[in-house]
Amino acid sequence: MKLKRVLLPASLLALVGTGATFGGFTGLRAHERLRSGLPKLALVSCTHCHQRSLKTLPWAKPRRHHDAPDGMAVSPDGKTLFIALNDRDEVVEADVASLSVKRRAKVPGGPFGLALDTAGKRLFVACRNQDTVSVIDTAGLKVVASISVGIRPTDIAYCQTPSGERLVVPNSGSNDISVLSVLPLLELTRSAAGREPYAVSVSTDGRRAHIANRMAVHDQVLSQPASEVTVLDPSTGHIVNRVELPSAHMAEGVTEVPARGWVLSSMIRVRNLVPITQVKDGWVMSTGIAITREDGEATQIPLDEANAYFSDPSGIVASPDGKRAYVASGGADVVTVLDLDRLGAWLARSGEPERSDAIENMALSYRYVSARIPTGRNPQHLALSPDGSRLFVSERLDDRVLVVDTSSLKPVGRIVLGNGGLDDPVRLGERVFTNSRYTFQGQFSCRSCHPDGHVDGLSYDFDGAGVGDNLLANRSLCGVAGTEPFKWNGKNPTLQYQDGPRFARVLMRTDQIPEPQLDQLATFITHLPPTRTLPWSRVGQPLTPSEERGRKLFFATQRTDGTPIPVGRQCQTCHRPPLFTDRLLTSVGTRGAQDTTDVFDTPHLIGVGAMAPYLHDGRAKTLEEIWTTYQRDDLHGVSSYWSKQQLNDLVEYLKTI
Amino acid sequence: MKTQNSPSKRAIAAALSLLALLPLTRGSARPATAGAEGSPISTIVRFENFGEKDGLPSHKVHSVLRAKDGRLWLGTNNGLCLREADGRFRTYGTKDGLSHPTVLGIAEDTRTGDLWLATMQGLTRMSGGKLTAFTQTNSGLPNNVVYGVSVIGDTVWAATAAGTGALDLKNNSWKIYDQSNSAMNEPWCYSVAQGDGVVYLGVWAGGVVEFDPRTGLFKAYRDPDGDFQIQLTPDSGPVVDVTSGVAYDAGILWQSTYFGLSRYDTSRATWRTWVQDKSPLLSNFINTVFAHGKVAWLATDRGASVTDGTNWVNYSVDENGRGIVRTYRPGEETQVRTMTTALADGFVTAIWADDHEAWIATSNGLSHGIFAGPSGSPAVASNP
Repeated sequence: MKLKRVLLPASLLALVGTGATFGGFTGLRAHERLRSGLPKLALVSCTHCHQRSLKTLPWAKPRRHHDAPDGMAVSPDGKTLFIALNDRDEVVEADVASLSVKRRAKVPGGPFGLALDTAGKRLFVACRNQDTVSVIDTAGLKVVASISVGIRPTDIAYCQTPSGERLVVPNSGSNDISVLSVLPLLELTRSAAGREPYAVSVSTDGRRAHIANRMAVHDQVLSQPASEVTVLDPSTGHIVNRVELPSAHMAEGVTEVPARGWVLSSMIRVRNLVPITQVKDGWVMSTGIAITREDGEATQIPLDEANAYFSDPSGIVASPDGKRAYVASGGADVVTVLDLDRLGAWLARSGEPERSDAIENMALSYRYVSARIPTGRNPQHLALSPDGSRLFVSERLDDRVLVVDTSSLKPVGRIVLGNGGLDDPVRLGERVFTNSRYTFQGQFSCRSCHPDGHVDGLSYDFDGAGVGDNLLANRSLCGVAGTEPFKWNGKNPTLQYQDGPRFARVLMRTDQIPEPQLDQLATFITHLPPTRTLPWSRVGQPLTPSEERGRKLFFATQRTDGTPIPVGRQCQTCHRPPLFTDRLLTSVGTRGAQDTTDVFDTPHLIGVGAMAPYLHDGRAKTLEEIWTTYQRDDLHGVSSYWSKQQLNDLVEYLKTI
Repeated sequence: MKTQNSPSKRAIAAALSLLALLPLTRGSARPATAGAEGSPISTIVRFENFGEKDGLPSHKVHSVLRAKDGRLWLGTNNGLCLREADGRFRTYGTKDGLSHPTVLGIAEDTRTGDLWLATMQGLTRMSGGKLTAFTQTNSGLPNNVVYGVSVIGDTVWAATAAGTGALDLKNNSWKIYDQSNSAMNEPWCYSVAQGDGVVYLGVWAGGVVEFDPRTGLFKAYRDPDGDFQIQLTPDSGPVVDVTSGVAYDAGILWQSTYFGLSRYDTSRATWRTWVQDKSPLLSNFINTVFAHGKVAWLATDRGASVTDGTNWVNYSVDENGRGIVRTYRPGEETQVRTMTTALADGFVTAIWADDHEAWIATSNGLSHGIFAGPSGSPAVASNP
């Protein structure tokens, strides 16, 4: 009886418990399937939908700032070096003789590019973080004027023209170029550039400005990409030429060569259409210099040697006598010295076929490379004293500027700006991210494909099924924290897994990145904030009427006529805020002829306006094309009821995310 | 047909042109020279004609523009065409990036030097020699059939078959104006013109729509009688609603239609209309209108008609292929003269003109209209 009294409630409790568990399980699955619109979804974590606040993500939290030197400018007498510290919102004035910092000035907006006027009395600063150009009176080292330009200005050049003083500013985020007058400080023109105009150089007579565009673009996903050198008349602001550089990518530096009529731009020769199994043969990425002549003819020459690569070429300067050029390789910690007399001689005796094939000839560079100068970590920007006797190299991740005597090509010392941030794991991760030592023969770094952690706008052949004609679009690492799993097939649960042994074997063709460095790398990546796609003046501002209409469309649960939209075909279901991804695999009808699956990882949309091209293989060049050209049977959200105005509204909203 | 190709031939033609100024039929002996009688209308004394044998890619020329840098651009049935400094024509086609071979309109962004091209399949930008296509599928362009284009400040306006698209160049964002959000009664837009602080949209069966970007407000100018066959209320609004083109300069808005011409004096807010039976207007069928100062150049199916609303000069081609010029002045007899040269064709599609010359696009070639010089002698043609 006593046993009965115990067993009965226990049995009932077990029954209820089992029922509750089963019912709860069934109910949970029903809830998941209802809310996800995925009828076959297995039990997954609640966090796919019930996401944590963005404020809890690493990139949203306060972080350490460092004294990384960016753009530099040397005073006309060569005695003073001005250094932009983007991460500090400061400009530093350093004494070249004593290699010491004299003064620091607060310059809001993230100073990045610098230029001095002819007399050295005004310093012009391109402030990348807040889309401004500031004018600093060098006597007082104070900002005396400021003006808004396009999104993320990364460089600035000053020149005198028949129409007066001019500033030329490449705006890397809005893909255009601002031409400013100095007195008064006004934006005269803003012209369309290529993709990510990044660096500018003006001729000494102020007649031409050449702008290097960092990213290559392609017409079709399987066509050869090309970047351009945009040629502009600073006097009128008119674009006078767009020199196409086939397969040239990541051009971050450009310089006029006095007395030769050349413009040199640093570049990566990218072969994204070649299966990456070819890494071991040096076939995926190599580095070079593009020589653009006044008539628009361009020749690409290698910077590398057979079995020795000098990745991520960035800053480039030419000596005042036109006899030398210096190129910083940020991934290899090297500055390469080019003998331009020897290069000119080679060009003169080479026929067109030889010149057009030069970039593929790794045995060529010995003809014009006269020296390689080792540097500290991640040299990106260069500056030369007006007499050409001193070369300044920004060792970004050491917080120092290396000063080189150009007659001996030996270092004379360093201007120390900070301590290198060795106690900051994010900084340590950036060192891993930017260095090419972890890839086969140092051919590339993470940054080679993810400039600033972002996309490079290309699709690559990752040796999937259909090698040779089955590409996968590069994905941004910015704002990627919390959006795991990674990869288009969603198979990598963590960044460490993503960048671990398999990645090393398939892509890097080396041993894997050691675990401590792998953790540092993951830490750095999770601290990369989303890419800003709006002008700084719009950040935090209310949506425009068009954007607001687009937002309502994004969150619509029914069509305009009141017809319900299935849950699984609502934008917000898969691209669920605040991450704008449910982190699940979904089919949106984009399976290509060579794909082995219908389903792909749902990408997050934070910063999507700057992530082109779109879809898993990069077939959509613009956001519009996702729904105008590649939409099928309303599988990628119900869009068949949209008018063109509504599509435009949606695109405007997406650009605000 | 290009009639002048050497200095000696040009001199002979100039002399013949002067002779041609002598009245042959009716009217006074007063020579019809530019402004000689206080008329603001410059008079063409001869034409240089160009066709496919001169290098044009098509006999049909739809649009013409002399850019600020002096270069002459033509929109033809078979590509965009540039007249080089040496007089030769260079063609850009779809292989160069043009979105469609038929270029219906050309506009220049005078600040950047970029050209914007209205084509039958999208809008194309030419910048630094590179062509970039904007279509209804890869951008916010309302429709691929783009009839007209204009650059006003930071905005490119594209008149399309499904509304007018406005591309904000600084923000790279599109807005569409059609019957759903503006004063248009239908979306079929043909033309865009810049007014003083406002934008005029020529709507196919909707008259003229004025848009004020500062206020975002629209105002429609419609035919008061609503009938395109008869004019019950002349001079009280657009002659008809069927707008083929709009042009604006010096405070005057012109509306061309297939049923007559309208003028709106914005300072007086007054309308004036003309139809061919009741005025010197060469033809009611006006393809486009180009405004220069207070003068309108009308591209009609019977030749080119030029007027300031008071004086008229009409250029046509007679049945023998001779050029005929008719000059009308208030209170004077009509002057009719035969020219030594004629328009390339009587069906005129577009015109560009300034104080020194006129370029006239026709369905069978291009004509360069050379004005009389200050003394009555032909001005020297120059094509940088």
